[in-house]
Amino acid sequence: VVSDTLLPGEARQLGRRENHDTLAARNTRLTAGDPITVRVRRADGLAEFHVPYRKWMRVLDALNWIAENAASDLAYRWFCGSKMCGTCAVRVNGREVLACWEAVEPDMTIEPLRNLPVVRDLIVDRAPYERKVAELEPWLERPRPYESFPEPLSHRQMKNASKALDCIGCMCCYSACPVISLGNLTDFAGPAPIVQLGQTALDPRNDATKVARSLKLTGIFNCISCYKCEEVCPASIPIVSGVIEPLKAKAAALVPEMARHSMALRSIVATRGYVDPSALVLRLRGITALLDLPRALRLLVRRKIDPVKTFWKRKTPASDAAARYLGREHQP
Amino acid sequence: VKFAYYPGCSARSTCAELNEATHLVAARLGLDLLQLDSATCTGARELRAIDPVGFFTLNVRILALAEREGLPLMTICNTCTLNVLDAHAAFLDDPDLAATINARLAEEGLRYSGRTRISHFLWVLYEDIGEARLRMLVKRPLSGLTVAAFYGCHITRPPQRYKFVDSRNNLALERLAEILGCRPIDYSGRTECCGFHTAAHDERIAIKLTGEHIQSAKAKGATTMVTPCPLCHTVLDGFQREIERDVGKVLDMPVLHLPQLVGLALGLTPRQLRIDRHMVKFDPRATIG
Repeated sequence: VVSDTLLPGEARQLGRRENHDTLAARNTRLTAGDPITVRVRRADGLAEFHVPYRKWMRVLDALNWIAENAASDLAYRWFCGSKMCGTCAVRVNGREVLACWEAVEPDMTIEPLRNLPVVRDLIVDRAPYERKVAELEPWLERPRPYESFPEPLSHRQMKNASKALDCIGCMCCYSACPVISLGNLTDFAGPAPIVQLGQTALDPRNDATKVARSLKLTGIFNCISCYKCEEVCPASIPIVSGVIEPLKAKAAALVPEMARHSMALRSIVATRGYVDPSALVLRLRGITALLDLPRALRLLVRRKIDPVKTFWKRKTPASDAAARYLGREHQP
Repeated sequence: VKFAYYPGCSARSTCAELNEATHLVAARLGLDLLQLDSATCTGARELRAIDPVGFFTLNVRILALAEREGLPLMTICNTCTLNVLDAHAAFLDDPDLAATINARLAEEGLRYSGRTRISHFLWVLYEDIGEARLRMLVKRPLSGLTVAAFYGCHITRPPQRYKFVDSRNNLALERLAEILGCRPIDYSGRTECCGFHTAAHDERIAIKLTGEHIQSAKAKGATTMVTPCPLCHTVLDGFQREIERDVGKVLDMPVLHLPQLVGLALGLTPRQLRIDRHMVKFDPRATIG
């Protein structure tokens, strides 16, 4: 082993230190009195300001300084200043942050959140989100009266719902979501409304019929699992793994037709041990997959598809193992 | 260095060239790979959502197979990597889950104790080969290539696995491109999503998103893209004709798997690395500056 090798685990974080992506580095980059260049996206383009750095200065402090000293008509929202109200989210250098919880950077461009209509300067209209949340009926409806008091309810049962309850509705995730950025291309409700739904839909006391009705309106299987939402969540909610995936599991149980893709993949893995992509596509799109003949031929020429493999299932050690662990007696 | 090697489904079907290239390049790098043939699919995104116990069992089984050989595990697919990393973390975090899985694995005489080191090929280059040795092994610096690195998602997010405040700070691929003699570029799609995971039921998301990434790479002067993930490759390369139709432009952007880029610099030919299996043609003359 040559001495210049990185330690195990270091390679996956290459760039963190180099690009000063750590809290320690961020806090030592500026000293009191340093000028900060702040560009704010306003109706008529980017307005540039020079703000003197004060120790522990946050993005919100910089905005307040601008409003008090340079542009009294600057429109931005904030209320609590302490990461609780969720009103001050903006994009700083392309990343969604809470203005009240983010250290300033020496050179920063502040923009309003994406995927929501801009009202003025940094203020966005939250109406699309609020309408969607209301549509999802995010409340608890009991199918039966209380059985006893206190109700038996374990931490394990509430594990995911309690994480969703940390949501402050700041819309950072909604702004970061690439599927939402495609507009009405799909029926995906977006991370923020889904987290709001998860607060009660992942509660085991909720009425299954109502949860099923809500899930049908989420388009949840159009989540591409990119984790952009988790990356920007100021409340550190594991939005994909702790909310969207458990809700997908609920959908698979309550509204199976929503989960066709997931169930087809599971059954293919269970019988073959691995995924044959052509088998999956055929299962999901049926005969229409074959209609684009030129494309199929192109793929065939490059041997990207292999009909022999697709139609002739071979028994292998992997298929044996998959049958053992995903077979009929192990249906979720 | 010896590794238990897990190629995943894509590298054994749609992207079979990746598996071939990885074996060739590993041999040149002095990596000894033991391919885990009885390993199953890690469950992609679908199994982990609808059947968590099945998902954890299949993944911990892969880790147990490597542990039985006493070897670290090398992966070449982003999603597989995150799946085994997540299963490993859940196994250590939840003793009840660990006991359940080990009880099921006992049927096969397998047992996991939580010791397998998991490494993607990209990380192996830095942690097991090392930059100095890699530089020595470069026979043909790829000075003609202006490369747009496409990380994809699961090799750099979620933050609880990789600790980035902003995954766009990841530099592993750009630094590697420099070591191999190419010129890396910065563009908006670097750590964005290709949209693969919904493509089996609806390709439109993948086509729209990836169209923007390829156009951005092209606008910044990239002549080739490189990705550490066969799923991203499937969209970037395999869907490029459909993407071109959607954006109404000829893109003609060749996309290499990471081991293929390394292999070219180590002196292997495009034919040996099976670059001819890609949908978009790669011109080998482009590698010479």
